[in-house]
Amino acid sequence: MLGLGEFMMMLPLQIAGFLTHKSLWLFLFVALLVSAIGPALAANDPKASDKEIDVVALVSGAIDQTRGKYSYAEMSMLIKRPSWQRESTLKAWTRGREDALIRFIAPVRDAGNALLKQGDRMWTYTPKLNKSIRLPGGMMSQSWAGSDFSYNDMSRSDKWLHDYRLQHVASDTHDGKAVYVIDALPREDAAVVWGKEQLRIREDLVLLDLTYFDQDMQPVRHMQALELGELGGRVMATRLRMRELDKPDQYTELTYRAMDFDVDVPDRTFTLFSLQSGRSR
Amino acid sequence: MSTLVLLFNLSLRNILRYRRRNFFLFAAIAVAVGGTTLSNSLIRGWQVSMLETAVSGLTGHIKLQAPGFADDPSLQRAFSSDTQISLSQQIPVAGVTQRINLPAVISSERETRGVALVGVVPTQEDISLYRDLEIEGEGLTGANDGRLLIGKALAQTLQTRVGRRVVIIVQGADGKSRERGYRVSGVFDAPMRWPEKVLVFTGLDALQGTLAGDGLRDPITEISVVLSNEGDRAAAAAELAAAHPSLIVQDWRQMQPQIAEIVDMVEGVMVIWFFLIMSGLTFGLVNTLIASVMQRTQELGMLRALGMNKRLLLVQVVLECVGIMIVGVVAGLALGIVMVLALGDGIDLSAFSESVEAIGISTLLRPVLTVEDLLLFGGLSVLVGFFASYFPARRALKISPLMAMNR
Repeated sequence: MLGLGEFMMMLPLQIAGFLTHKSLWLFLFVALLVSAIGPALAANDPKASDKEIDVVALVSGAIDQTRGKYSYAEMSMLIKRPSWQRESTLKAWTRGREDALIRFIAPVRDAGNALLKQGDRMWTYTPKLNKSIRLPGGMMSQSWAGSDFSYNDMSRSDKWLHDYRLQHVASDTHDGKAVYVIDALPREDAAVVWGKEQLRIREDLVLLDLTYFDQDMQPVRHMQALELGELGGRVMATRLRMRELDKPDQYTELTYRAMDFDVDVPDRTFTLFSLQSGRSR
Repeated sequence: MSTLVLLFNLSLRNILRYRRRNFFLFAAIAVAVGGTTLSNSLIRGWQVSMLETAVSGLTGHIKLQAPGFADDPSLQRAFSSDTQISLSQQIPVAGVTQRINLPAVISSERETRGVALVGVVPTQEDISLYRDLEIEGEGLTGANDGRLLIGKALAQTLQTRVGRRVVIIVQGADGKSRERGYRVSGVFDAPMRWPEKVLVFTGLDALQGTLAGDGLRDPITEISVVLSNEGDRAAAAAELAAAHPSLIVQDWRQMQPQIAEIVDMVEGVMVIWFFLIMSGLTFGLVNTLIASVMQRTQELGMLRALGMNKRLLLVQVVLECVGIMIVGVVAGLALGIVMVLALGDGIDLSAFSESVEAIGISTLLRPVLTVEDLLLFGGLSVLVGFFASYFPARRALKISPLMAMNR
């Protein structure tokens, strides 16, 4: 056996020998092999096995869960502010992912105000002015009807499928059902200001939480499903709360009163004419 | 001639006789003229600065735009980047640049603002305020750089910074709005605040790529021309208008009439300011001379009795008055020049940045001294002295030998 001191003295020689030795090539070969197979092995790690889930299917399923081919909904919206609050009632019709008509029916002050969405275009209608106004792009990030929802939140429901890369990052459970946490990272040139959006989707396609992160990856806005229930034959979030995290004492809550997915909504519902006529039907 | 020399000597002696009184008069004139010189050089500096600002803000001396663009700034009123600018040899050109300049909306996570989105060719922008920008982060690397350069004030409002993404909404050539994410390559600090709030730069080619519709392949909305001499403006505009009948050719005076108006007004302001100070001074001068004439009643009466006629007496008093004025004015101009030189680097007004910009200048007010101004105001001062001598002279002419004897 060599003493430590002698070993240290011989170390340079050892290294020189190693470099010229066949074992170097063996070493390199092994290193290459590990780096190639490593990730594959890691993927089979049981903790990460949920990666198998199809995130696109999951997210598009969650979008369609509350829409269907056609849908009709009655809901109430509570806008809570530090010094006041207001509750209004509204009705909404949707067709596929693209088209929607939302009309306020109460209180009287707001009744008749309506929002029409056709693809990525939106119009608002105010009976007091008897005029419908096409929303310019610059207004899309503004608040809708004084709530914590922006027009952008109302439009582009399938944006996650187009403008984002979806990543399954974690899993947990809710009421005994698996919940998938999915990070939606906007593509480089997507018209999205957020650093990322994080969705928590239950395996039965209910969107439990939606958090908007700024580009420092700090949470900015948060939409949470407060109550789940069955409406129109589907399990869905029946009460949703949207709030901005730096304004703790204000939020907007949307409560679904009734929902019908089997309804046959006539196509003329989603037209400008329909927007301007009929206070509510 | 010898009479004139005699009168001159007489005047000089009279001036020297009352050293103390005349010294204060000199001092008053010198300070007034010096102060006027300084204030005029500052006003002139303001004018020059305003002119530079007007031209170096994206206007240039001459701008070419498609008809109707001013009323409806959209890409539908664009023209081709193939448009060539050539001027005859007598008119030297400092630089020509092509741009897209469109109203747009910029959003970050927290704020939304209206801005002017400007697609530039960075290498051509050495004629505009672009060259003066202090950039934190990276500047645009070229016309195909699809990142953004935004102002410091805007970055603060949007709560964003270098390396972050923002969304820009702008109307494309087909009239539909284009919405797209952009990365901020750099944040610029401009000498003034408005560009920092309003201007957002990106590469021209990259922007054309984003906005192009079925129409023009490489649309631009403006060509900006900066000449070597501002004076060639009208001739150059006429030439360009003849060469490009399909475009609207305007010089900076037409595009920024309010600034042109103010620049013109400055001349008036300088003259008014001068006469305000001078009229105050004139009263002092007249007063002193009348006093000296009254004091010398006996002496003047004796001169009259000895045969000096009224005309010579008049010339003598005027000479005295103008003499005091000339010496005072020369000293005053020297004082003014010294003060201007002492201020050579200009006055830093950045502490009042907001209000300073309201009058259209940059935050460094640099005095500008021109020989024309010095000669004009020196000459005018002497002229004022000449007319001011009317009152003491009239008083002197009334003196008769009889009056002198009665004293």
